Amino acid sequence: MADGDDSAAVELRGVTMTYHGAEGDYTAVREVDLTVAPGRFVSVVGPTGCGKSTVLNAVAGLREPSAGQVLIGGEPLRGLNRRAGYMFQQDALLPWKTVVQNVAFGLELSGVEAERLARAHEWVVRVGLAGFENAYPHQLSGGMRKRTAVAQTWIGDPDILLMDEPFGALDVQTRQIMENELLTLWTDSGKTVLFVTHDLEEAVSLSDEVVLLSAGPGSGVVGRYPVDLPRPRDLLDIRTTPRFTELYGAIWADLRNEVMRTYERASHGTAGAGAVQDAG
Amino acid sequence: MSALPTGPRAPELSKTPADTAPSRSAGPRRRRTGWTGRVRPAVLTAQLGLAVLLVAGWEVGSRTGVVDPFFFSSPTAVAGRIGQWLGSGEIAGHLLTTLLEAALALVIGGVLGLGIGFLLARARTLAAVLDPYIKVLNALPRVVLAPIFLLWFGLGIWSKVAFGVTLVFFIVFFNTYQGVREVDRVLVDNARMLGAKESQLIRHVLLPSAMSWIFSSLHTSVGFAIVGAVVGEYLGASEGMGYLIAQAEGTFDTTGVFAGMVVLSVVVVAIDLLVNRVERRLLRWQPARERTHG
Ligand SMILES: Nc1ncnc2c1ncn2[C@@H]1O[C@H](COP(=O)(O)OP(=O)(O)OP(=O)(O)O)[C@@H](O)[C@H]1O
Ligand SMILES: [Mg+2]
Repeated sequence: MADGDDSAAVELRGVTMTYHGAEGDYTAVREVDLTVAPGRFVSVVGPTGCGKSTVLNAVAGLREPSAGQVLIGGEPLRGLNRRAGYMFQQDALLPWKTVVQNVAFGLELSGVEAERLARAHEWVVRVGLAGFENAYPHQLSGGMRKRTAVAQTWIGDPDILLMDEPFGALDVQTRQIMENELLTLWTDSGKTVLFVTHDLEEAVSLSDEVVLLSAGPGSGVVGRYPVDLPRPRDLLDIRTTPRFTELYGAIWADLRNEVMRTYERASHGTAGAGAVQDAG
Repeated sequence: MSALPTGPRAPELSKTPADTAPSRSAGPRRRRTGWTGRVRPAVLTAQLGLAVLLVAGWEVGSRTGVVDPFFFSSPTAVAGRIGQWLGSGEIAGHLLTTLLEAALALVIGGVLGLGIGFLLARARTLAAVLDPYIKVLNALPRVVLAPIFLLWFGLGIWSKVAFGVTLVFFIVFFNTYQGVREVDRVLVDNARMLGAKESQLIRHVLLPSAMSWIFSSLHTSVGFAIVGAVVGEYLGASEGMGYLIAQAEGTFDTTGVFAGMVVLSVVVVAIDLLVNRVERRLLRWQPARERTHG
């Protein structure tokens, strides 16, 4: 924690999130503690359905914790998190707005009139979509939609960025290019990033720290792994370095356990805590 | 004129959005219709051939006495009558009256349906309270209202407009309601994270979502507005296409009835083509394959 006694950009204290459904209550995450120092890039990994999106929604203020507290810059969060930008796991572009209108949407909402389209256009170019300003989302490829979403989120210059598997649905090549671009954007921006992914390689290569959530229900943080790979990083080369392999292997051993547990619960109903695989 | 319009199927107003199937924000999938657009030449030839065959058969039939011209008239007689109407210009007044009534019904019914649909979609308790009333009103065969409207609004255009409004209102109302309730949750969340206040949410997310549903039912709404006007006139009026047809029927003038039907059909098809163009412009953000082809 380089920032010493500075208050954390994001802090979760004993956050429990319970969904109240028709078939009863479901506690997705239980007593999650998490601290993210300002300007850090932290990834959250964990098996599918463990509650990664749920945690992001709590930080975004879209869903209030059933217990515990979310602190943003040391202040308890009330209502929506105004300092955060959120890139959703699902497509969230407005289908009836063009690329440039979608990018300018946040500015439009906050009443920025002057140079709104010029600024949006600048971002469209920055994410490599020049020439597609007036295309509608359905006319774009998945990767192009994600680029638009990146521009839409970043244009408002939020201090905190919540990104929920932003590149999960993309092919390997596009994903690597976008990861590189994301790192370029983030470097020296001073922004705090909370990045959700189920791809451990992506998590290790991008982050300062990887946080591992256990299998649900009632998941919690089971591991925090500082990633001391030097920056700036070249994502194309970094995956072959010995240190990367070492870090990856250590986290994977733990992640694998959680994934196996999720898998077993799914295939045998909700069997007890049993059968933890040996850490390879 | 016996096929009286009934309202659209009413969705459960008391249900919460979670009960209804999730749908993408892009709005309802529209059925693909093949009436116009890129029709293959062979199909077009067959269609024309069929028309020629039917008309020729009808003509020959009534000339040879196979069908009774008194009950079925004949194409030449019908064409002659239409020519006479066009020549004297008497048809224009009737047609304009009917179209004016339909247009007013469309606008008034549309605005009311949009407003109330929006209100009920946002105010759950109110929707739950009003649910049975709306169901009953929608289930009511509209034609029984026509005599009442004649009493209330007189023989002029307003009784027909009121009748058309009861038809258009429910279509727009249900589509608005559905469109607002089934808007993609993540679109709303995203807009809120980007700083949208309630009024902005309505303007940028909920209204466009509802609009895509409303436009997708524009054909039905326009059709019902015209049906409302014609049926209203048929039951009591001094002007309009429905009146013209009713009058012809009253004097056993089948040629007049058929001529009125043909004029009405041509106008309705023309309007439908126009609606297609409007729809294509307004919904150009939607993938083409989901759109009705014009
Ligand atoms: N609105 C909801 N109502 C009830 N249960 C929910 C709701 N949203 C999520 N859950 C449940 O909470 C758990 C965590 O969901 P969440 O979306 O946070 O998982 P996730 O880790 O993001 O998964 P993935 O990697 O597949 O995106 C899941 O078991 C899910 O079924
Ligand atoms: Mg998720």
